[in-house]
Amino acid sequence: MAELDPLIHAPARLQLVTSLSAVSEAEFSALRAALDVSDSVMSKHVSALAEAGYLHVRKGSRAGRRTTWIGLTPAGRRALREHVAALRRLIDVVD
Amino acid sequence: MESVKPSDDPHEARSLLSVADEAPRRLTDGLRLPTGLHPALGVAVALQIATAAYGIAQQTAAGLAVLLAGLAVFLLVAAVGLHRFRRINGVRVDGLASQVLLGTGTTSSVAYLAALAAATWAAFASLWWVVAVAAVVGGAGYALGARQWWNAYRADPVAHARGVSPRMLVALAVLVCLGLVALLVVG
Repeated sequence: MAELDPLIHAPARLQLVTSLSAVSEAEFSALRAALDVSDSVMSKHVSALAEAGYLHVRKGSRAGRRTTWIGLTPAGRRALREHVAALRRLIDVVD
Repeated sequence: MESVKPSDDPHEARSLLSVADEAPRRLTDGLRLPTGLHPALGVAVALQIATAAYGIAQQTAAGLAVLLAGLAVFLLVAAVGLHRFRRINGVRVDGLASQVLLGTGTTSSVAYLAALAAATWAAFASLWWVVAVAAVVGGAGYALGARQWWNAYRADPVAHARGVSPRMLVALAVLVCLGLVALLVVG
């Protein structure tokens, strides 16, 4: 049975990975605007999750500007699925 | 690496699940399709069906050239539409690419295949008005399928986001080109 994942348990990180589950890739600034966090906070979370293999990060361009594109890896998708299942089990215990 | 020690508090779990449910909507609620994507797609597919039917029925190098021109127009319209979507929104959605380029939804694929079959039959019989009608109906059905997919995606983005990856689309395009070249060489 899957356990809660400490890497994506914090609300900001959970928001980040669940947002990415709704797209294939998102630009750094689009994600930051959706999550309403600063550049530095966003960078910190993205770096930590990329280091864990949950996110892939690549450089690209948009309208002539250099941008960073971020997406969930299969490991990140699996971790999110298992984390949400573990959260649901916790709630089921009470219900 | 920084991480948070998870608590076993069910109330916190409920709050986190609420966060998990709402976050994707905050990203996808602001997404919009490029202006005129559906009409442009419908016209491009109609043109592709008509030129494909003509090319297949003619079975000549000129017919194949017409077929390839129709295919090129469709691919150009689809590629421009997807590029504009990415540029406007700052996101890539493979489910949209699959729907626009491959017509993977039921409505799009049934409309396309039925229209192509009818148009090809009509082209062999030189019933050109039937070719035109079938192409228009196929294009409209294809565009309708794309609109249905978009509505489904807006309702449940996580369930509909995934699709054929760009790499797979390129591989499919290469396969189609090789197939057409083989057709040209054999013909």
